Amino acid sequence: MSSTEAPVLSCEGVELSFGGLKALKGITFSVQPGEILGLVGPNGSGKTTTVNVSTGFYRPNAGRVRLFGEDITGIKPDRIARRGVARTFQNLALFKGMSVLDNILIGRHIHMRPSALGTLFYWWWAQREELAQRRVVEDVIEFMQLQDIRDEPVEVIPLGLQKRVELARALVSEPKLLILDEPMAGMNQEEKEYIARFILDAREERGVTILIIEHHMDVVTAICDRAIVLCNGEIIAQGEPRAAIAEPAVIKAYLGERAARRVGMGDAA
Amino acid sequence: MFYRRSGIRHTRYQSERQLFPLGFDRFLILSVLAVLLAAPFLFDRLYVTGYLLPWLIWSSAALGLNLLMGGAGQVHLGYGAVMAMGAYGSVHLMRFGAPLELAMIAGGLISASVGIIFGAAALRVKGIYLAMATLAMQSIVDFVISQTPAISGGALATLQAPPARFLGISLSGERETYYFALLVCAVITLFMLNVRRTSFGRALAAIREKDYAAEILGISTLRYKLMAFWVSSFIGGVVGSVLAICYLRAVSPDQFHLDLSIQILAMVIVGGLGSVLGPFFGAALVLFAPILINNALGSAFSTFGMTVPIDLRAHLPLVAYGALVIGFLLYEPYGLAKIYSNVRTYLLVWPFRHAQR
Repeated sequence: MSSTEAPVLSCEGVELSFGGLKALKGITFSVQPGEILGLVGPNGSGKTTTVNVSTGFYRPNAGRVRLFGEDITGIKPDRIARRGVARTFQNLALFKGMSVLDNILIGRHIHMRPSALGTLFYWWWAQREELAQRRVVEDVIEFMQLQDIRDEPVEVIPLGLQKRVELARALVSEPKLLILDEPMAGMNQEEKEYIARFILDAREERGVTILIIEHHMDVVTAICDRAIVLCNGEIIAQGEPRAAIAEPAVIKAYLGERAARRVGMGDAA
Repeated sequence: MFYRRSGIRHTRYQSERQLFPLGFDRFLILSVLAVLLAAPFLFDRLYVTGYLLPWLIWSSAALGLNLLMGGAGQVHLGYGAVMAMGAYGSVHLMRFGAPLELAMIAGGLISASVGIIFGAAALRVKGIYLAMATLAMQSIVDFVISQTPAISGGALATLQAPPARFLGISLSGERETYYFALLVCAVITLFMLNVRRTSFGRALAAIREKDYAAEILGISTLRYKLMAFWVSSFIGGVVGSVLAICYLRAVSPDQFHLDLSIQILAMVIVGGLGSVLGPFFGAALVLFAPILINNALGSAFSTFGMTVPIDLRAHLPLVAYGALVIGFLLYEPYGLAKIYSNVRTYLLVWPFRHAQR
């Protein structure tokens, strides 16, 4: 595999089961450099599990996961993060009791050299690094338009902003691959449009490749270059988003047999 | 109003990230420091060596435990054992002729290297199970110390701490000892204050709050849990040696039993988990509340002419003290430091009502 055109992330026949439940039944797909890939599917179809395998939280029973052509199967999440992967979580995973600013600063962890002695001798050892990283963080705060809430405790701001802070925390680590797990869950139309804009801008200005799990089909068709549809741990359709979600197998998975037949006959527009 | 914020405009990140951006906070901390520095000249020597000195030492220990419990969210029920290792290590080294500076650091290193072994338990178990694992550590260390004559000099033996000099100054006098404890406490406090604004402290907090989110940000939970145990045990060891050399001046195994661990744990919890101010409040309450309650009850009994049986008289202060701790946990789970911060928040915007935080 040539390293220049290697896919950012590729899963090859990934299988995973929890006890008797086969959560992933041989998933094979790849994320190409610079694309926004949508991962959709009904509840329990294995989307988050796929992401968890790709980021090292689960070790697959079979199959390989590659990042830029390098095998990362079974490597711990913190190692994978250092190879340029960042992600957000379906249920917010912000650090409570800390300010928005500190939450985003944690995102710079892999670019810093934390030490206890450096903490004791802050003025001589750590200050310069802290302030340098602060500048990078401020760039992202500006990019995500979080200036006016940067000193707020993260638990008091509204959900829409919390999601934005989490996205900022992921972006600030300067990832090559950004994985977003339902970044728009529970949001109103306006907040969704904001996030969609930030995702497109992130690719445009920062050159990140994005894998996004999303339930809002309007968002998927609007911002994704490609979509992969999962159902019961299998890929049932993939390709251009509009075409992929219109396939009979997908309609059947979401709406049932009858709806799929009606669409097949050209009943529903 | 009192904590004036108007007119403070930061133009550099450096000034925004300073420890106390508000002028009034700086004023408060400097006045407290000034009083502590002048204490040997202001107060009776009984108060300085009987109250202030133990308060400083116990506060330092509580700060060390708070790094682990409040900072990294790991329970530790064997902090007394950690201090015991530092105390015995440094006393033995000094008996061999090592200078205090070296013995203190070595005591810290001994505690840290044993503490990290028990910290390894934290990688596998959490919460109540970790509490049990560290409790086991307490018992094991207690047992090893008292049953190894080479360490304790026999189960009931007391080991004298040799006379110590710090940077050429003899610590035999009470004033010198007090200033030495104050210095150690100040260094530990500075460290704890800085923890809140460095990547090290943020990594610990991330593990405390959500370890899976910390991992995908590149923070190895394994590494940082061990580091938290290492640093906290190091502080415990250093404070243990200060306790032995400055305050107890002789060590025996029973001084570092579970009682001490629970006492320091209570200081951390009553004072306020994760706060730097908390351990100071907590130590003051835990050390002095029983004495104050005892005195208050004693004078109450005598003024009202009540005859109270002697055993009831002995236990009532403990009961009242226990009720006090339970009351704090019920009504202010974040401890005394939170009460202070509530007052501060109120005064921050007084006479207006609504504070941002």
